[in-house]
Amino acid sequence: MIKDVKISSMSVKGEQLVELNQEEFFPLPHPYDNLKEQPGFKKLNDATKEKYQASLDGVMAVGKERPETKEMEEKVVKAFISGLKKLFSKENNWTFLMPLTLSMENCAKCQTCNLDCPVYEGSGFKEIYRPTYRSEILRRMYFKYVKNGNSFFNKFQNSDIEVNWELISRLFELSYRCTLCRRCAQSCPIGVDNALINHELRKIFSMELGWSPKELHEKGTMLQLEVGSTTGMNPLVIKDNMEFIDEDISEKAGIKVETKWDVEGADILLLHNAGEILAWPDNPAAFAIILDAAGISWTMSSELLGYDGVNYGLFYDDVQLARIAMKHLEIAKKLKVKKIVMGECGHESKALGVISDRIFNGAVPREAAMTLLEQIVFSGKIKFNPERNYFPVTLHDPCNLVRSMGIVEPQRRILRYLAPKFREMEPHGNRNYCCGGGSGFAIMSPYNFADWRIQIGGRKKFKQILEAFADCDPRPEFPKYVCAPCSNCKGQLRDLFNFYGAKEKSGLYYAGLVELIVNAMTDVNEKYIDFEAM
Amino acid sequence: MAVFTHGNISIEIDEDGFIEDPSTWNEDVAKALATTEDVFELTPNHWKVIHYLRDYFAKYGIAPMIRQLCKETGFPLKEIYELFPSGPAKGACKVAGLAKPTGCV
Repeated sequence: MIKDVKISSMSVKGEQLVELNQEEFFPLPHPYDNLKEQPGFKKLNDATKEKYQASLDGVMAVGKERPETKEMEEKVVKAFISGLKKLFSKENNWTFLMPLTLSMENCAKCQTCNLDCPVYEGSGFKEIYRPTYRSEILRRMYFKYVKNGNSFFNKFQNSDIEVNWELISRLFELSYRCTLCRRCAQSCPIGVDNALINHELRKIFSMELGWSPKELHEKGTMLQLEVGSTTGMNPLVIKDNMEFIDEDISEKAGIKVETKWDVEGADILLLHNAGEILAWPDNPAAFAIILDAAGISWTMSSELLGYDGVNYGLFYDDVQLARIAMKHLEIAKKLKVKKIVMGECGHESKALGVISDRIFNGAVPREAAMTLLEQIVFSGKIKFNPERNYFPVTLHDPCNLVRSMGIVEPQRRILRYLAPKFREMEPHGNRNYCCGGGSGFAIMSPYNFADWRIQIGGRKKFKQILEAFADCDPRPEFPKYVCAPCSNCKGQLRDLFNFYGAKEKSGLYYAGLVELIVNAMTDVNEKYIDFEAM
Repeated sequence: MAVFTHGNISIEIDEDGFIEDPSTWNEDVAKALATTEDVFELTPNHWKVIHYLRDYFAKYGIAPMIRQLCKETGFPLKEIYELFPSGPAKGACKVAGLAKPTGCV
């Protein structure tokens, strides 16, 4: 183990930079303060460490195999430098060139952002997770290769860096230790965005070297472009599944649930994260109930990609992002809908609502569900009995929705009205903490990565949740509801709660916002939210 | 890719511990995979879930909706978790020799 990790340590072959130790993570409140009651943190075996690049922190999210020859190593180095140069050219970086360049050149190294990073804090302040550590590596390469500063003066001013396979492969792992939550960007006094730098780093790996997590690429964007959905559902399966949901939930809710398909000229094309349909069917069904009760003309699309709003390209690759966004645009145009409404999914909302702006070029407006739901709930068209939600509720803010898009108030207004025991976490709104599953992590569990994302990535969030309910009866028979209007965040909360046994110990449950809305509707049978079945 | 060995069983698994080739699955493989999920005895209830998952997978090429699994087998989600502690997707599908479910599920 290296004692004093520096930037230059990344290029040194062999020794692992950081050892993660559960005892060094900050303690969680009772009854989660006893490490012996928890499943532990899996260690990689020696054979795995031998075969793959695992010498960053003994964790693997992506697991890069060690090349066999020196030539192969050199090829990687060359490709990386070429990708780095492209990142700073107008022709090759149509999305983020300006903020990237500003972030590269203007960081004052004041380190204000460090303590705002839940990963850095959650790990027990490991040097490599400092938001500025990763950026500094890229910055040194930027001054060396992009600004061509091979002069003595540049080396003196910006510090040199040895670029080799060891550095690049460790950097690849390190680019998947940040959830892109952008809390650091918010705390920077001059607006340097270290999360963006990390995002751009992932782009070099994917777009120039073809290195990306299989969950996001092969089983993510590629699968979606091929069969229509990241879940593997083709158009026949999705219709079959929605038919099941319609029937099943009509019976439970005592109100007709009817998914609309391919209605030309509808006001709204509703685009869910397709994961909702497989894992949390109450959510899409609740949307159907609310939209019909409000008398809104809406439809879903059964065309390839038209029923999965996911766009993992947002996390790692601009070309994949654009391919998927263009399909979504095409489908909306073909159906002649007035606008697209994104379901309860943070990254989908950001990808379609903000980042795809130049692809859509004004053609079809997009709206995140929160604002539409606010309008509906306060329109007076639906009768509610908020007492039906008489259990403690707190709100988890999905980073993409809140910090990145500024959609903060609508979901709170709804909760203040419909959930009498609503309480905020601290901090919240655009100062929220990431669930730890951001930027695609929630669906990544290879090797021992799940232990990392649960115990380090999601540590702050779990503590916040427990503290939000500190005044409640702690017994599990008194359910406590974490409202998380995002599929990715829900997947992470499920893993967090399962890991710590939080349902059994404290009665912690999670689900979305629309379920709470429908649970309060007087036209719907009681107990739309059925804790017994969750 | 790694090889998982348990008793006489030796099969290829991926980084998540899921079977690499679902067609190499059989009931002995299920018993072996179950040990990785801390399930040391497969009861008739386990088999009911496993067989439903396999039949659905053979027909549609993906795992069924969780709600459908609960309804068709008659086990509420809570019981599925009791049978397979990592849950329907990461636990039951793994033992049933399905490919790892993809997307935000």
